[in-house]
Amino acid sequence: MGATLELEGINKQFPGVKALDNVRFDMAAGEVHALLGENGAGKSTLIKIISGVYRPDGGTIRLDGETVLFNTPREAQQRGIATIYQELSLYPELTVAENIFMGHAPRRKVGPVDVLDWKAANTKAQEILTSLHIHTLDVRRKVGTLTVGNRQRVEIAKALSLNARILIMDEPTAALTEADVEQLFSIVRLLRERGVGIIYISHRLHEVFELADRVTVLRDGQYVGTKLVSETSENDLVSMMVGRTIDNLFPKLDTEIGKPVLEVRNLYRRPMTRGVSFQLRAGEIVGLAGLVGAGRSEVAQVIFGINPAESGEILIDGQPVTIKHPGQAMNHGIAYVPEDRGTQGLVRQMRIRENVSMSVLRAIRAGIFINRREERSLATGMIKQLNIRAYSAEQVVNKLSGGNQQKVVVGKWLASKPRILIMDEPTRGIDVGAKAEIHRLMSELAKEGLAVLMISSELPEILGMSDRILVMRGGQVVAEYSRAEATQERIAAAMMSETAGNGAPESETVMIDESETA
Amino acid sequence: MAVTERSSQLTKQSNPIVSRLRAVVLSKEGILFLIMIAAMFILSLLTDKFLTTNNLLNQLRLVTEIGLMALPMTFIIITGGIDLSVGSIFGLSAIVMGFLWQDSGWPLELAIIMCIVVGTIAGFINGLFIVRVGVPPLIMTLATLALYRGMALGVSEARSARGFPDWFFDLGQRQFLGIPSQLWILLIAAIMVGIILARTPFGRGIYAMGNNELAARFSGIPVRLYKLVIYTFSGFMAGLAGYIFTSRISTTRADMGTGLELDVIAAVVLGGTSINGGSGSIVGTMIGLILIQLLKNGLLLGGVKGDATIVIIGAILILAILINNLVQRRTGGD
Ligand SMILES: Nc1ncnc2c1ncn2[C@@H]1O[C@H](COP(=O)(O)OP(=O)(O)OP(=O)(O)O)[C@@H](O)[C@H]1O
Ligand SMILES: [Mg+2]
Repeated sequence: MGATLELEGINKQFPGVKALDNVRFDMAAGEVHALLGENGAGKSTLIKIISGVYRPDGGTIRLDGETVLFNTPREAQQRGIATIYQELSLYPELTVAENIFMGHAPRRKVGPVDVLDWKAANTKAQEILTSLHIHTLDVRRKVGTLTVGNRQRVEIAKALSLNARILIMDEPTAALTEADVEQLFSIVRLLRERGVGIIYISHRLHEVFELADRVTVLRDGQYVGTKLVSETSENDLVSMMVGRTIDNLFPKLDTEIGKPVLEVRNLYRRPMTRGVSFQLRAGEIVGLAGLVGAGRSEVAQVIFGINPAESGEILIDGQPVTIKHPGQAMNHGIAYVPEDRGTQGLVRQMRIRENVSMSVLRAIRAGIFINRREERSLATGMIKQLNIRAYSAEQVVNKLSGGNQQKVVVGKWLASKPRILIMDEPTRGIDVGAKAEIHRLMSELAKEGLAVLMISSELPEILGMSDRILVMRGGQVVAEYSRAEATQERIAAAMMSETAGNGAPESETVMIDESETA
Repeated sequence: MAVTERSSQLTKQSNPIVSRLRAVVLSKEGILFLIMIAAMFILSLLTDKFLTTNNLLNQLRLVTEIGLMALPMTFIIITGGIDLSVGSIFGLSAIVMGFLWQDSGWPLELAIIMCIVVGTIAGFINGLFIVRVGVPPLIMTLATLALYRGMALGVSEARSARGFPDWFFDLGQRQFLGIPSQLWILLIAAIMVGIILARTPFGRGIYAMGNNELAARFSGIPVRLYKLVIYTFSGFMAGLAGYIFTSRISTTRADMGTGLELDVIAAVVLGGTSINGGSGSIVGTMIGLILIQLLKNGLLLGGVKGDATIVIIGAILILAILINNLVQRRTGGD
């Protein structure tokens, strides 16, 4: 059932940028082929050409040796090419099964008419999930209520429901915790054994070494090279990607840790925040670790006033404050870089300038008007500082690459000059070079006295950047380690101990996992 | 006036003035304006009564009320909402004014103020339920469309107020500096509202909400407050329009303004405001408003029969929207 794919001389021009310039790529049946490159290198563009979203300006695509040209994603799907895009594309209001079978639901006859058979769809969806060893996902749930990890499993199931021979995954692990990543990997291996070819995009190099057979690197829209993973090294790949080596991904500076600026006491907002207490001091970076569904983002959103606390206290500089909506939190100098850039972080239809200034609109006024000049210089400043790849501050955010969109979210909240910066997965989808850059910035800001609360699912990032580490589980802080005491094993154990330790019933963990509040 | 936020997608690095001009002409508003000029040209060939200052000013007088209500409607539709109750608020406010003056013996000045107050309260109630209870705007204002109309009928008991003193007609029937008096109000209001939408944090927030309400909220934009403001403003404008209309036609009746919401929405949507929210402008709304009225009038003067007029207007509306979609897609605008 496998398929081979060859691309040659692919060109793609967007207004203002040449996204792909004479790129080639090939893959064999049952191969996992990683695609690497910096943010904006053209990876997503390339896979969108393979999957029929964009038409190349030039070049040839051969599937099983036959030249093909897909005009729509549907045509590509019919030839067995399924894609999981960087920005997840499910319908939140529909159920898991409905999403999986969107557009190709099983039918049955009612008299002379063909009707969609949702009952069969439910059964089949369940079968597909089971074949992927996913047993805890209810196919009748609305996708909008699922965690990111589970939404992604739904995407994979959807791809398989189309009998994919080639599965393209654009940064599938960006939004996953380590446990979810492990499960994804076993799914990928399962598929490879079945002969499915997989194109795998990621900014995490170790994943490439764990999973891929070959790797192709793009830089600035150009083909750099293809290597066997067994014959290359991380340093090799990094220098192919960025044209230089990166010595330190976690440039943590020693800082003077000052007075507590933020303290929360016994914060409650059911169901996900159940009595959270901690302190955050000036100059300190506190890492907040935990599994998906441990309630980390929810605590952040309680503090930021998106879902205000039901009980408990928030103190700023030792003074109790009430925070009922984000505006109040911002008045206290709190900024929150949210987890999901697409739905929470950005208004993607608007320009970079407009997004960056959105958190400071009231501060950059001239009279009652927005001061356009200040707004523009703010945006161009952020573009420079964060090295956002865009042709101008007037570019619509939608047309940026995923990693560059993430940088805009970070820039937007840096622009608000916060005293307390809460970052929820700040480097999700960002390339190694830019990641080191954002870490350096974070570290410098802390040195200037900013207090940072960093939620991250990447343990190396947590260990590398934090002065102190809190671990959450089931809506509570269950462990705390200083930088010196923290080890990957300890944190991982604290994150999981209950589920692993006393074998809590699966249904209960699932319930906690899933009840993300909107 | 301020060019819209959402136009001018493509800024090529060529001559800045040329590219700027190109962006303006190829914006939704620019295209609509060209269509309007073309329509005026054709209509002026049909009849020489059409293209006269007098006729044009008079036509503008006739659309002032719709125009005033179209201003807040533009805000509302940009946020992805709708206000179907404006026609009823318009009727209710005017009826209350007539009733207070004629039946309750209030001074007319006070009755006029109450007319606007009633409209504002009616809009506020819409906003309150939409924001606090979370009723979808379509449902809420559909309900108050019936409710407010029912109240108007109840208050008036099918009687009409008439016999207003002469000064009452200054606004609706006379001129100020050579231009129909009420047109000044529309002109000033449109400029102010247009600038607010295009240039202030409030206006920016409206666009942000329409595109992604959640992200707007996560950015600290007071989403609920803004919604409350725009629905209240919509009621205010409907009240004001009710007063101006009464002053123009000299009498109040309980069924006045029935179906007016459709004219208001048509002007806004023809003006390029996306019914899904997120984009639109006051300039566009004003052009849409004028285009519809000039078509109606020109065709009438040109001797086109009533039914055919509606068909032609409908066809031109669809055409305008098609042309615009085509051009926006070509130039990479959205
Ligand atoms: N629809 C579009 N219109 C205009 N420019 C685009 C569009 N899509 C992508 N681009 C540009 O093309 C370049 C390549 O983008 P692409 O999304 O392929 O990058 P990527 O390698 O996937 O990056 P990332 O790692 O950040 O996801 C970027 O400079 C981006 O701004
Ligand atoms: Mg990408």
